[in-house]
Amino acid sequence: MKILVLIKQVPDDVVKVSLSDEKTPDIKNIEKIVNAMDTYAMEMAVREMEANGGEVVVASIGDKDEIRPSLVQEIAVGANRAYIGNLDVSGADEAALSAELLSFIRKIEEQEGSAFDLILTGKESTDEISSQVGALLAEKLSVPFVSSAIGFTKTDAALIVKKETEEGYDVLETTLPAVLSVTKPEYDPRYPSLKNKMKARKAEIPVIELEKAENKVTLTGYDEPAKREAGVKIKEKEAQDAVQKAMAILKEARLV
Amino acid sequence: MKTLIYIEIENGNIQNGSLEIMSLAKTLSDPCAVVIGSDVDNASDAVSAYGIPVIEVPCDKVSDDAEVFILNQIIKDEKPEYVLFAGTLKGKDLAPRVAARNDGACITDVIKADTENGVFTRPAFGGTVLENLKFSADTLKVMTVRSGSFEKLTQGEKAEVTKKEYALPEDALKVILKDSVKEISEKVDLEGANVVIAGGRGMGSKEGFAMVEELASLLGGEVGATRAAVDEEWTTRIHQVGQSGKNIAPKLYIACGLSGAMQHVSGITSSGFIVAINKDEDAPIFDVADLGIVGRCEDILPVLIDEIKKLKGL
Repeated sequence: MKILVLIKQVPDDVVKVSLSDEKTPDIKNIEKIVNAMDTYAMEMAVREMEANGGEVVVASIGDKDEIRPSLVQEIAVGANRAYIGNLDVSGADEAALSAELLSFIRKIEEQEGSAFDLILTGKESTDEISSQVGALLAEKLSVPFVSSAIGFTKTDAALIVKKETEEGYDVLETTLPAVLSVTKPEYDPRYPSLKNKMKARKAEIPVIELEKAENKVTLTGYDEPAKREAGVKIKEKEAQDAVQKAMAILKEARLV
Repeated sequence: MKTLIYIEIENGNIQNGSLEIMSLAKTLSDPCAVVIGSDVDNASDAVSAYGIPVIEVPCDKVSDDAEVFILNQIIKDEKPEYVLFAGTLKGKDLAPRVAARNDGACITDVIKADTENGVFTRPAFGGTVLENLKFSADTLKVMTVRSGSFEKLTQGEKAEVTKKEYALPEDALKVILKDSVKEISEKVDLEGANVVIAGGRGMGSKEGFAMVEELASLLGGEVGATRAAVDEEWTTRIHQVGQSGKNIAPKLYIACGLSGAMQHVSGITSSGFIVAINKDEDAPIFDVADLGIVGRCEDILPVLIDEIKKLKGL
């Protein structure tokens, strides 16, 4: 199978984002990493290739110099090659992004000389958390879509996908080509070896110029959520004393 | 102009979030509910009791593909301005597809609506930043709505239920369900719970986590957990609260041995009263707690459990 993994570079989600003086998310000093669920998609694709052959191509849209390190990292993880879609995507909504991705994919396929059998994305990104792009892309490509994929296998005629549900998982059968959005499977993404990292650093990554698509949603501004005030803090040597004080407050508030 | 409301049915009942989007729909424009499924007469009836007309579509084999197809047909017939979904896994699967198929736009996880100006607010960056968004004027406006963000509608004068049938063309059904595996048998209603007791990494072990479960059962509440506690397999992911789990709004929330990572806190800020128990005095959870107890959970919880037992005469 020839698999395309679409990744997004995001600010490290361990760091809390607040608004700058200009009332925009202050992310410029936060380290940029590959979105967590995209790294699961990548690991899933590489495992498939290791088990059954095929190819894995990784691609991302953004400023060509800014996003290169993320693509280099995924080549080190195991992608055969990568593509950069050079475009300023700041302020793009999901409709615009998916349209831009569609034209990006078509251009990659043109360069590759063949179409992809399977396209994987993370289920959601940690910055925008919209979980839309995979679904939008599948619709635009008019191909089957399964969200929350935690695994897949290809049979002679079909693709079998495990989709995480509230209580367990569904086993779904579909055809290729397809788009899957991936959530955390039972395994973690691998750490690439130093050797692979060094090799990946020298990789030539073609840059494809893209045109901006139109937004259907516009941002009127940012806010910060209303802050909750910290209340009473009890600090006692003995657990008994702390609990007595706490119980008094809880009873007073009729919460117990 | 109409607002279509997609009603999610769980075991024959209307899902909580679907009741909440009904009240948002009423403030937007002329609401109309869509109920899809087999054996959904009761659910349609229940929805119409809220004074919202219902389009009921019988469908034996419900799947995302089938529902997207049916919703798309209804959109062609009814030409709504808005289409609303509860922000459930299913809602989030269907909404963007319905939007794309109609060249429309979709906003995920709406928590606030300024209907006069058509501005909708949603969280980003783990909930520490809110985005205010406006749809383009002539586009189909699709939204998923985060649970707990709007009041449930109260019942009104019974409205009409109209049955419509749509033949599903073979090529519309691209993904076929082969098997549904239930790994988790318990039923957990974190979103509807009045009391939630949650544990994090600080509970130390499965045995430690059992204290959280005991306290929850004593207080008639549900058990919540952080991602860390789920990853440790002290409980199942159905209990997870926060970014990749449930957003909850109980009257009482007790956070045990969890530091308060923003991905967790974003899911609990609508709680009525937050109690935090943590040995680290500087844990961020104390910044949002109405009542904080500095101490080790293994010391505090047994005493707290005893006190609650005494109070309940156990």
